[in-house]
Amino acid sequence: MSDWDDLLGAALIGTARRTFTLDQLAIPGTHDLPVEGAEATLLTAAALAAGYRRAGWTPPTWRGTVAPPAGPDDRTECSPTATQLLELLLDRTIRIESGGTELLTLHWLTAARDAGQRPPYRLTVRLLRFGTANTATRALVREVIGPRGAWLAQHNLSWRWAAAIPAEDVVERFATAARADRLALLTDLRATEPDFARTLVEDTWADEQAATRAGLLDTLHIGLSHRDEPLLERALDDRAQSVRAAAAALLDRLPDSARAARMRDRATALITVRKKKLHVELPAEPDAAARRDGITDQREPGHGRAASWLIQILAAAPLSTWDTALIAHAEQDVLTGWTKAALRQRNQEWLTALAEHQPGPELVAALTPDTATALLAKQKKMDARFGGLLAAAPGPWQAKFSTELINKLRAAKAEQVLQLAAATLAEHLHPAALAAVEAWLLTIDPDRRPARRVLRGLAHALTIRATILQEFT
Amino acid sequence: MASRWTVARVLALAPDPGSAKAARGLTNPRTWSDLGSNESLVWGKCQGSARSPYQVTVDLNEPAFRCTCPSRKFPCKHGLALLLMWAANDGVVADMANAEAFASDWAAQRAGRTAPTEERTPAPEAQAKRLAERESLMSAGIDDFERWLHDVVRQGLASARRQPPTFWDSAGARLVDAQLPGLGERVRAMGSDVHARPDWAPHLLDALGRWYLVVRAWRQRAKLDAAAMADLRTVVGWSRRTAEVLAGERVTDRWWVLGMSIEDDDPQLVSQRTWLYGERTGETVVVLDFAAAGGALKVPQVLGSVVDGEVALYPGSAPKRALFAGDEHKVTQGDGLPGATDVAGALARAAGWLAGNPWLTRVPLALKDMTVVPGDTPLLVDRTGAALALAPDTEVWELLALSGGRPVPIFGEWISEHFRPLAAEVDDRLVQL
Repeated sequence: MSDWDDLLGAALIGTARRTFTLDQLAIPGTHDLPVEGAEATLLTAAALAAGYRRAGWTPPTWRGTVAPPAGPDDRTECSPTATQLLELLLDRTIRIESGGTELLTLHWLTAARDAGQRPPYRLTVRLLRFGTANTATRALVREVIGPRGAWLAQHNLSWRWAAAIPAEDVVERFATAARADRLALLTDLRATEPDFARTLVEDTWADEQAATRAGLLDTLHIGLSHRDEPLLERALDDRAQSVRAAAAALLDRLPDSARAARMRDRATALITVRKKKLHVELPAEPDAAARRDGITDQREPGHGRAASWLIQILAAAPLSTWDTALIAHAEQDVLTGWTKAALRQRNQEWLTALAEHQPGPELVAALTPDTATALLAKQKKMDARFGGLLAAAPGPWQAKFSTELINKLRAAKAEQVLQLAAATLAEHLHPAALAAVEAWLLTIDPDRRPARRVLRGLAHALTIRATILQEFT
Repeated sequence: MASRWTVARVLALAPDPGSAKAARGLTNPRTWSDLGSNESLVWGKCQGSARSPYQVTVDLNEPAFRCTCPSRKFPCKHGLALLLMWAANDGVVADMANAEAFASDWAAQRAGRTAPTEERTPAPEAQAKRLAERESLMSAGIDDFERWLHDVVRQGLASARRQPPTFWDSAGARLVDAQLPGLGERVRAMGSDVHARPDWAPHLLDALGRWYLVVRAWRQRAKLDAAAMADLRTVVGWSRRTAEVLAGERVTDRWWVLGMSIEDDDPQLVSQRTWLYGERTGETVVVLDFAAAGGALKVPQVLGSVVDGEVALYPGSAPKRALFAGDEHKVTQGDGLPGATDVAGALARAAGWLAGNPWLTRVPLALKDMTVVPGDTPLLVDRTGAALALAPDTEVWELLALSGGRPVPIFGEWISEHFRPLAAEVDDRLVQL
């Protein structure tokens, strides 16, 4: 509308320098309006033309192509109460000290995932922001926001971690992307299609730089299986020490591999069992084959050169070689080797036996929740050592154990344990322990401020977790 | 002992949001003395700008207000502030056996006056005189405003933009003093708009046209029809008493709650607009509610529900302002966005409203099948490709998450060539944006 532009031009400069007449408007019937003076004329023209523009505004036509919509999500939406709770947690209206709010958010997400329910779509953006800020939660967030979230993340670069990448694009992206992106891509792919991910690594393996080869190999720890063994065996002969070390570390976790068998031969040559007693001979300088299998001169803390070789051999040999009954008769170097082996091979039988023999936070953390709590329930002393074990224990804990634990701590006045393991208690205690926590809170000396604060935080967290549990069952 | 009122009930008496806000600012007990209350009266003295404190008394039965301040507002901010402090019931305004002399004297005077019933209504001559006084004050303000407008266009818009904030503030303040607060607020807001908006020049020219139309319309107000006169009253901020509206036109319908917008930028006052669509009449109306910050809004409707009942309509052109009237309102759950059309249809309806009321700034649009297109300028696009630019503060990602990239019905406000979405329909339910 050019008459509007003329009018705007005159208005910008001012009627002192440029005037505008009503017949310049393409609006019929304006010339006989009773208007006097340049200012009144311009203002009248503005009133008329602006009114025409407002009422006659026509929208521009968009000619782009609409991106394909999000795929369907068959899960049912969670209850309004659950939604409200998640909102309170995400906007931190509910606040619990030392990361407690994030933990409760994770509880919510886990409960929703396990119940096969989804949050309402309007919270997708806030969950994507939560996942962007809390890197460790991303896998869970991605699962909970489902196809809608993966679809939305495609439109925003800062949410790329959650974006659904079409399968046909993966090969292309892996070949061309920057190193960090390639690793992220591979990490994702290993979780769902480990074999396909490995073939991607194998395809480009010969052309990669050493640092990249080590990084790519590292991602195989996700979904590791015996099908990865040929590549790992090949990598033991790599030019780069970092790649060889990465391969050895992964093979340590495959007790059925050829390398594990070679380690068993080395171990049984050194250790013999006679009348249920262990006879240990320290190894000699490793030969070339042992070096290739990853035995190094790195000292184990508190052990000599030869003992360190022994520990490395035992840590890489299959535990099925031995009987757990031997634990009671083993020296410290053998125990250290077996402990490493049990942790790497995730052998629950050995982990349990070793933890019962010599409980330590590292072993307790690797047990299943039920085994760990069974072990903890047997402990007599509610001291700092117990606090350390408790803090390391995995969850969730059963109602019976949780309530008994709180009652035991209360009876022993073990406020130190309470403070040491506060975060773990908030995370793993069963909501059924709420009554026990509240009872303690009622009777505790008001001067015991730090302990009171922990108990109050616990009561708060358990109340919310009870609600989450209730809303998802 | 009669129970004390709620804050919401007190604020409902405010003649306009400005008074409610001013009253909140006056509730500091240190500016008050001789506070007290009994079953029918609340009284106190407030230190204002005059040398001697204003004597404020409220008769709770009517309620009736008496204040020695010169304000023409009724009730004035002092009366409202006194009631707010009394409603707080925190011991500041305590119940007393004996009222202060100024309060009991006024009450006695009123009792004497009310006794002969016919004499109670103010003499028509007195009322006409007050009205004439007000109108002549407003006319003088309009004359002054016209000179200011002439000045702006003589110097040019570019020059007006270079003026300091006081240029707009003092013009706005003069309008407020001349009992034209609605106009004053618009002029004051322009002071920041000319710097904040990239399209400031056409925006200012558009506003100048509308303001000049106020000047012309005011001069010819005797010739305006009732609706146009009411629109003029709204734009200048000449408010109406609730009782007057309740006594006017009423419409019974099934009112669908289409969208709500809560504004809490003001630290003292929360305001809420609720857009309603009448199923039977096809009318779109808006309910405005105000509450002190932290207080509950008077009529908290649920988005997406259907309120079966009566509203009282404010005089004026469509879309009209309304007020829930009567007692019984049956509320049921609605199943989406009624009356939605494509962009062309909604804009055609808007054109009718804009032609009827040249001062209309917020136009409700109920749109069907709108696709969200993210980008530097996020858009809503209908099936024909007609595109509306989203307001800059729109949560585009949430809108995109809700729609999943599919066309959805969306309700919102069209404000100076931008669309501000308020609700979207997802799975037959309206969701607040």
